[in-house]
Amino acid sequence: MTIRHSFLNWISARFPIREFTKKHLTGYYAPRNFNFWYYFGFFSLLVLFNQIITGIWLAMEYTPVSDSAFASIQHIMRDVRYGWLLRLMHTTGASAFFIVIYLHMYRALIYGSYKKPRELLWLIGMLIYMTLLLEAFTGYVLPWGQMSYWGAAVITSLASAIPIIGKFIVVWLRGDFTVSTVTLHRFFSLHVIAVPLILFVLVFLHLVALHYVGSNNPDGIDIKEKKDAHGHPLDGIPFHPYYTVKDLMGAVVFLIIFSIVLFFAPKMGGYFLEPDNDIPANALQTPSHIAPVWYMTPFYAILRAIPNKFLGLIAMASAIAFMFVLPWLDRSKVRSIRYKGIYSKIAIAVFVVSFIGLGYLGLQPVSPLHSTLAQLFTTGYFLFFLTMPFYTAYEKDKPIPDRVTP
Amino acid sequence: MKKYFIFVLLFLMQGMVFAEDNIALEKVKINLRDKQSIARGAKFFAANCMACHTLIYLRYNKVARDAGITYEKMPIHVTAWPFGITPPDLSLTANSRGVDWIYTYLHSFYVDPQRPTGFNNLLIPNTAMSGILVVYQGRQVLATDLKNSRLVFGRQLQWYDELELQSSGTMTPQEFDATITDVVNFLAYAAEPYHNERVRIGYWVIGFLFILFVLTYFLKKEYWKDIF
Repeated sequence: MTIRHSFLNWISARFPIREFTKKHLTGYYAPRNFNFWYYFGFFSLLVLFNQIITGIWLAMEYTPVSDSAFASIQHIMRDVRYGWLLRLMHTTGASAFFIVIYLHMYRALIYGSYKKPRELLWLIGMLIYMTLLLEAFTGYVLPWGQMSYWGAAVITSLASAIPIIGKFIVVWLRGDFTVSTVTLHRFFSLHVIAVPLILFVLVFLHLVALHYVGSNNPDGIDIKEKKDAHGHPLDGIPFHPYYTVKDLMGAVVFLIIFSIVLFFAPKMGGYFLEPDNDIPANALQTPSHIAPVWYMTPFYAILRAIPNKFLGLIAMASAIAFMFVLPWLDRSKVRSIRYKGIYSKIAIAVFVVSFIGLGYLGLQPVSPLHSTLAQLFTTGYFLFFLTMPFYTAYEKDKPIPDRVTP
Repeated sequence: MKKYFIFVLLFLMQGMVFAEDNIALEKVKINLRDKQSIARGAKFFAANCMACHTLIYLRYNKVARDAGITYEKMPIHVTAWPFGITPPDLSLTANSRGVDWIYTYLHSFYVDPQRPTGFNNLLIPNTAMSGILVVYQGRQVLATDLKNSRLVFGRQLQWYDELELQSSGTMTPQEFDATITDVVNFLAYAAEPYHNERVRIGYWVIGFLFILFVLTYFLKKEYWKDIF
């Protein structure tokens, strides 16, 4: 017996390491027809890892106090060895996180990965998305530039639209009557410990739920129904080594694109790092144009599309709430868009156009044309969800295949 | 097709974030690898700008030290600035305003007896800054008619459409342009001293990743040859 074996035996007698690898890697059968869209879950884990590692080192040099926070970022960028690299990896990672998460969610949307038995998997995923928005928002405030400050001021002030108790909630959120060093300090705490802990637990639960119900696939058919003599799905392949080598290759491609942005265009034309955030926070000078970072703008556009502030807040909240109940709105018998009828295809196209349109409008200054367009796209966004129980039930589906297709 | 949406989106949104300015910004071509230009810009800055403007985040920097830019010389101790406006720190102005903006701003001062400083600016009307560059650039006044302007309908005016040189300074217009380009180059350097290192490392990282891609591609292909 080799040293390696005796070491593994020693561990195995005390910890189920072999059972664990078998259950989750070598014995976890995933459909063999995963396509392009199935990389993004793994990419999300990769970016999460990047954010945590770079975040740990940034927190070593960052100061969460209003009179030195901005300077400490410049200290990281200039005086800390490779500090600029750590910070740009973190800022690029923040935007990359939302790109991969949005594509991951879109994948679930087109292939019906939220449908039975994966409703809970979808719900946990939605909670991850919400937590991620909170993590991004608290992190965005930390550089303490003008956009950090005024973004925090605008977003915390949204709570004031709630009748009667709104004003108290705003003060409770900020810990002060205005956004101040108290706000900054608590956002730092939330960003580096509270929210990441929740995120970690949710990601763990997301994977537990995924491995219990098994992965969906582009055909949306159940691979567990056709099994070989050993009881393995005929259309399934062990996650390791097949998907580990495939994801490894995908990760390299992702890292190439990530590096191009990171090293050659880290500001991404002012969308990943905004010009106004290179001006220190100034409570006495409101920037002429305040817009949230790009990944929050679809919801911000919905908020602005409604003339009444409180109703706008409700519309924004329900825009997210509708995503939660998606599994119960879809009454289609098939999962994948490949076999759904024409109405589902039109509806998804309307949804994508509306979501991107809202995202674009959320960045723009208010104008009558922008408001009209935002209202149009908001209607499109909600119609996708509201009419879903009808078109999915009445449209004519295509016949689904017995086995998965390449 | 749908996978290209995000790239199309990012492409469409390029450069739409910046707010409109009073005049069109003149494009300046800077080169952060031109160390002589940065050093010339630094010297000009030390001689002409540091009486009022700080560069607080550049304090330990070698290029800045060589040009005589030190923390002690910067006028951060001044408490009462004329008109109550503290001249801004310029460490990050090349990021927050952009290099074209600085280049245009420094070009568009003109004589205006109405202002306490005697000068006004097209880009920031009623700016608190005085026309200290007039010695080099010469005195500019508002053009009485726009006869020289290459005015196209719907196009924003450039600073040189609206201003004309009344008396020349110690520099020719070409020399002045070159000097201001150096200053802007220096300020771009001051905003991101790590820029060149970033780009240099970037090529190596991406080169390494391409090699890694070839390896992982064939690894995947070998494992997957029997699937489908």
